[in-house]
Amino acid sequence: MLKTPTAEQPTTREQSDVVLRTVGLTRRYGKITAVNNLDLAVRRGQIFGFLGPNGSGKTTTIGMVLGLLRPTSGYVELFGVDTHRDLTGPLKRVGSVLEGASAYPHLSGRENLRVCAMIAGVPDARIDEMLSLVGLSERAGSKARTYSLGMRQRLAIAAALLTNPDLVVMDEPTNGLDPAGMREIRGLIRDLGAMGKTIFVSSHLLGEVEQMCDHVAILKSGRLLMQGEVKALVGQGTALEMQVTDMNRALEVLAGLDFVKGVKRDGVRLVVETASERAADVSRALAEKEIYLSELRTRQDSLEDVFLEMTEDA
Amino acid sequence: MTGLLRAEFLKMRKRWMPYVLFILMLAGAAFIIWAMGYSTWHGDDPEFAASGLRTFAYPYSVPALLDSGQFWGSVFFVSILATSTIATEHNWGTIRPALSGGVSRSSYLLTKLLTLTLVSTVALLLALGFGIALSLWATSVADVHPRVPGGFTAGDFVLMVSRAALCIVPYGLLAFTLTVISRSTALGIAGTMGFMVLEAIAVALLGTGGGLLQDSRLLFPSHSVGSLIAENRIAGLEYETSALRDIDISDQPGVWAATVVIVAQSAFLLAASFIVFLRRDVTVSHG
Repeated sequence: MLKTPTAEQPTTREQSDVVLRTVGLTRRYGKITAVNNLDLAVRRGQIFGFLGPNGSGKTTTIGMVLGLLRPTSGYVELFGVDTHRDLTGPLKRVGSVLEGASAYPHLSGRENLRVCAMIAGVPDARIDEMLSLVGLSERAGSKARTYSLGMRQRLAIAAALLTNPDLVVMDEPTNGLDPAGMREIRGLIRDLGAMGKTIFVSSHLLGEVEQMCDHVAILKSGRLLMQGEVKALVGQGTALEMQVTDMNRALEVLAGLDFVKGVKRDGVRLVVETASERAADVSRALAEKEIYLSELRTRQDSLEDVFLEMTEDA
Repeated sequence: MTGLLRAEFLKMRKRWMPYVLFILMLAGAAFIIWAMGYSTWHGDDPEFAASGLRTFAYPYSVPALLDSGQFWGSVFFVSILATSTIATEHNWGTIRPALSGGVSRSSYLLTKLLTLTLVSTVALLLALGFGIALSLWATSVADVHPRVPGGFTAGDFVLMVSRAALCIVPYGLLAFTLTVISRSTALGIAGTMGFMVLEAIAVALLGTGGGLLQDSRLLFPSHSVGSLIAENRIAGLEYETSALRDIDISDQPGVWAATVVIVAQSAFLLAASFIVFLRRDVTVSHG
């Protein structure tokens, strides 16, 4: 489930399943190390969140994955091919949405996609299909310079999907969007995942990644802190949250229970570190001492809790 | 590659700038024929009447149009177009999705260069054609019948156009290379124009020296360009020109030497642009 950031030798089956792998990927700018010895593995069909605070090295990593930036050391494999040896071949199977949602401002949305279609050798019929998918059909004839950021972002997504790629790489796709736009893009990403595409999406918005992604890697200061399943991560730190009639006595009682790892106050509530299945045992133990519950619920660590815990520790 | 070229043409034909530059070239051709040629010939000063005649009267007008066309075509049309075509892709960020979509860097740059070459060739030939049409009109209005010793053949015409075209190449490539390196429209255009001004000064100053100093003028394209442009003159006769250069026919390198130098300089610039572009990080810049 959870993997440490150290490199591991994959089996042949796993290897064929890995769509994107970075091995010891490092990029330095003078004395600054933007990405430090990064080992990532993204498997077919995953919606993989690439998390990290601003300046953590996400965009630099994506730049190296897409061949726009040169690694100082290490390498990238796309579909099992070392991109040092062959970059353009595997990249034809990748669609990318890069930060800033670039478009030719003097061309209409449809013409922007036509440029991409000509380059990729995709038939024109696909253009309308993609415009419709991203909800831009009505404004397809307007110049891209008149588009809002959200519309440009959707146009960039349409361009990325034009070739029906196996892997879609997105760098902060919801940056600069209003809440409605963010929701729309998240929905689109989930739809793409449902279509069986592998999605590699970077973000500094933890809630967003938690809602969209099934796998996640956390980066800080260019270093990989962890990678694994979102479900496993957020389920890690389960606790019980309760309100009781006598806080001080309850603290004493709960601290003495062997299945409780820790107890702390959180305002008017107590937070008890234990498995959620122990709720009845906790309730019984308190009732035996004539301490009664007025509220009891399970509290699961959010990705934000996990992230903050990891990045603070790091 | 065909798809890349088609995409490049679509991007270019939808921009207003090539059309504005083309109209400027047409206006320039009209200016040379009517203002610098016909008006000068028709004017009161008999000293300039003969050179005025050779500027507007066909076929003497061909080298005159090519002279000014080479200079201003290099400065305006080719340099601005080359610079803008490269730099805007960086400014708009559109270079990144293009390269991350599986287009090799060499194909990308080669396509840019091919498109620029084709568009420049067509536009400048059309402007030349327009100038020649005006020249034929002006010749008929003036009712003059200039004779060329030994005649003026299609072969002469092609050779003249080829020489002028070769003289545009190093400046076009200079603009191209400067922009590939700087990723900036401003630096590309200013750099090319600044170079043209500075080389004119440098060549003039070096010409006053002797030996090695004089020979070192070969390092500057304008010295060799002057030789090829002078070679275009019909019967060695001068005409009025808007090109900002002074050609001393007795002080130019030989035509073949000049051709070799221009080709070598162009090859150097071409190699520099490809080496830089193939190796560098592709990021977004503003300029």
